[in-house]
Amino acid sequence: MITSAPLWSVLVVPAVLAAFAAAAVAADALLAARAAGRPLRAAAAAGPLAEVPRLLAGQRRTTLAPDALLWRLGVLTVPAAGVLAALVIPFGDVTASRMSVGVVWFNAMEVLTWAGLWMAGWGANSALSLVGGYRFVAQGLAYELPLMFALIAAAAGAQSLNVADIAGAQSHLWFAVWMPAAFIVYLVSVWAFSFLGPFAYPAGRDLAGGVLAELSGVDRLALEAGRWLLLTAGAGMAVPLFLGGGTGPALPAWAWSAVKTLAVLALLVWARRRLPVLRADRYAELAWVVLIPLTVGQALVPALVDLTR
Amino acid sequence: MDLTRAMLRAGAARPHVLTVTMPGGTAVRLAAEEQLRRRGWPAAMTPADADVLLVAGDPAEPFAGVLAETWRAMPAPRARAHAARPGEVAAALEAARARLGDRSAQQALAAPAAGDGRDPHHDRDGAADGHEPGTGDGGHHGHEMGGESPGKMGGAAHRGHDMGGMNMGGMGGQDMGGMGMPGGLRMAGRGADRDGLRLDQLHVPLGPVLPDWPAGLVVHLTLQGDVVQRAEAQALGPGAGGSFWSEPWLRAAAGEPVTAGEAARRRAASHLDSLGRFLAVAGWDDAAAVARRFRDGALAGAPGSRLRPAVHRFARRVARSRTLAWLTCGLGVLMPDDAAAAGVRGPALRAAGDVTARYRAWCAELADAAAALDDGSPLGVAGPEPPRGPEDDTRAPSAGLLAALPGLLDGAELAAARLIIASLDPDLDEFPARAQASHDH
Amino acid sequence: MTAVVFWVLAPLAAASGFMVFRFASMARVTIALLVSFLATGGLLIVLGLGYLGVVVILMMVMEMIIMAVFMIAYMMNPAGLISMTMDHNKRGALAISVTSFLLLGAGIFAVPWPRRAGARPADPTFQLGKALMTTQMLTMITLAFVLFATMVAAVVLATGRGRYDRFGDDLKRRPAAGPVRGGVGR
Repeated sequence: MITSAPLWSVLVVPAVLAAFAAAAVAADALLAARAAGRPLRAAAAAGPLAEVPRLLAGQRRTTLAPDALLWRLGVLTVPAAGVLAALVIPFGDVTASRMSVGVVWFNAMEVLTWAGLWMAGWGANSALSLVGGYRFVAQGLAYELPLMFALIAAAAGAQSLNVADIAGAQSHLWFAVWMPAAFIVYLVSVWAFSFLGPFAYPAGRDLAGGVLAELSGVDRLALEAGRWLLLTAGAGMAVPLFLGGGTGPALPAWAWSAVKTLAVLALLVWARRRLPVLRADRYAELAWVVLIPLTVGQALVPALVDLTR
Repeated sequence: MDLTRAMLRAGAARPHVLTVTMPGGTAVRLAAEEQLRRRGWPAAMTPADADVLLVAGDPAEPFAGVLAETWRAMPAPRARAHAARPGEVAAALEAARARLGDRSAQQALAAPAAGDGRDPHHDRDGAADGHEPGTGDGGHHGHEMGGESPGKMGGAAHRGHDMGGMNMGGMGGQDMGGMGMPGGLRMAGRGADRDGLRLDQLHVPLGPVLPDWPAGLVVHLTLQGDVVQRAEAQALGPGAGGSFWSEPWLRAAAGEPVTAGEAARRRAASHLDSLGRFLAVAGWDDAAAVARRFRDGALAGAPGSRLRPAVHRFARRVARSRTLAWLTCGLGVLMPDDAAAAGVRGPALRAAGDVTARYRAWCAELADAAAALDDGSPLGVAGPEPPRGPEDDTRAPSAGLLAALPGLLDGAELAAARLIIASLDPDLDEFPARAQASHDH
Repeated sequence: MTAVVFWVLAPLAAASGFMVFRFASMARVTIALLVSFLATGGLLIVLGLGYLGVVVILMMVMEMIIMAVFMIAYMMNPAGLISMTMDHNKRGALAISVTSFLLLGAGIFAVPWPRRAGARPADPTFQLGKALMTTQMLTMITLAFVLFATMVAAVVLATGRGRYDRFGDDLKRRPAAGPVRGGVGR
């Protein structure tokens, strides 16, 4: 039975999230080292963690006539969205918030990235930065509806919006098994809302970093960390939504949660290197014409199962 | 404070290096990329991202402004390094890293340039702040950024050439420049767009300091949103009188004995370099890293027996990638007649199609070149030709590529524009080493 | 606790709503409106309507950002660099708004609100869903169709290129003629 943790656990959530995010970053660095032909050593994995002191000690920049309020606010919103979204994720038997509408809360918090990145792109008063911010809005319009229907499918399968109930409803069969389309669309959307990998369109190399182009110092760290925190929160949410939560033989619930989260993270980090960046001008039509009917149809499946049960 | 010192040293463990390649600096750039790859140091994308500014090759006069701008746009801690020969790169990078971690050196740097990164650069006239005259707020662009990071955008390129070519007509009648906007920015001009609306136009130069970008190239874009309305390609400075990638053929033409294997090796490396850039622009970092690894191996003289199967597999993987083809099909269609009219030779002419056809042509030619890496026979007329097309006395092959660019970029979105330029990959070193006339549209 | 949250969110909602008319930059205006909506969503959560509150937050973020795109595109002075005032008829508007506020406030405090008849439902979300899907089903269906028809009509009216421009007179041309090739090859 998943219980709600005391109020101070709200402070533990960012730390746990950051720990998993650091693991994801280290794995990503190892894969990058392998592609570049460098030996796989611990130093390779720890490399990106040197970014933290580098950026903390770095000077912040400003541009000519920026909208400083929106710029800094937007940059801060992205990691905040990741942490807030993670508040409803149960870790084993404990969750920071047992709200009855956890799935909708998760969706609402990741949507905050829309506002954050648009503001971060606008505020810098730079052409490439602005294009990056607008690119995220275009990408958002493409990924958001399939994601919503995938979440609805999972919630319909458990007849509840409470994340704990959804995790508990998978004692017989994981949702990932009998709702595979929703699971895959959800995983793809995790990349999309953390604008990583094939969906790094807003922060792409062709735009010299896009929304990241004018940022340095703490701001850059906040936005880069925010991406990985969002990815980790999404991976963590996949576990109760589609992979049965903390259930499993032999190990305690929190261990199973951790193992499953790390497995999903590993899958996301590994697969992201296999694809080029999916540009929104090609992806948007695919999302609206193919993925939305697919996920709507997928949401019909648990509804029919519930009706006939 | 000890914490600052510790953080500086920790942060200097993995500095981000921004490489600015001078004309004739290709070999140094390749050595730098290999060094960075071996050390695991990321290549910076913009001055904001960079700790070390590495100047590859002998500094050329037109680039002085670009370098100054880029340096000014870099945040502290930062260090400057210069390598004129490939062998100097490692030492230059190490020295720069040592200066990065050294607190007193950083404080010495910071003192005279106080407020760096914060100056709106009032010493420049409003026109050179970003882009003339279409700066100012407007439409859905906000206004052009000014002094802070134009290095990557080539804002300083305006020092190297006059503004005469810019579209003054874009101002229309909207001269509201006297309304006290910050930095002397003016309102954007407007123009018709592809849907029949009148939208604001922004003049944005791409280059010369941009990741995965041909060295010395500046493409002046007139953007509406992220759609290119008009493009002008220009070489920022003189060339180098001969490209690094065509070196075996130039030596053979000068009468030195050159084997076909050497020429094939250089050709394979050139295609791998172009593919690496293209794949990086397309966002496929893994494949780009693999391409660059093979390029370094080919240039370092790895035996053909080991390189050939790996390069074949890579070329096949890229050519057969359905996702990449889906993303790039229909972009930048260059039909043979237009190509021949512009003076395009080589793979871009033979590919006769869109971006997908061109990178597949590179993959096919790469596979062919990889098969002949250890060929010891002398380079003959029937042997492999230079990677961008045969050299002749009239025009460099890259001149044709530059001439074809404006037509291809018209109406393309910004991402597509970068892919098109990367799929042509002109090499400005081929141009003669003297003052360049602009290659206008 | 709820009183504290209420007294933080309610003035925030009113103040940022007011700032919509004080900011000169269209981007800031949109974000101020967004903050006002977010605070309102928070107030709904405080009222015990968790689902409605979170849905308000979710929908309003997306809608405000899309609105921002259009505000920047169509409004003059999107970055607020020229000092421009958007207020007209200041005295009249101020008088009307203050009077309305006082009247409404007086009404809220003076009206005898009815007492609750019956117990509070255990799960307000479920009760809301049940009401919508049973007694109010006809309303929902009608609303859904009207909304959908409005969206389609708006897009058809706005776009300069219709189906016949894209697919030809016989609607058979594939891929569609247009400046940007979509991803599905239609």
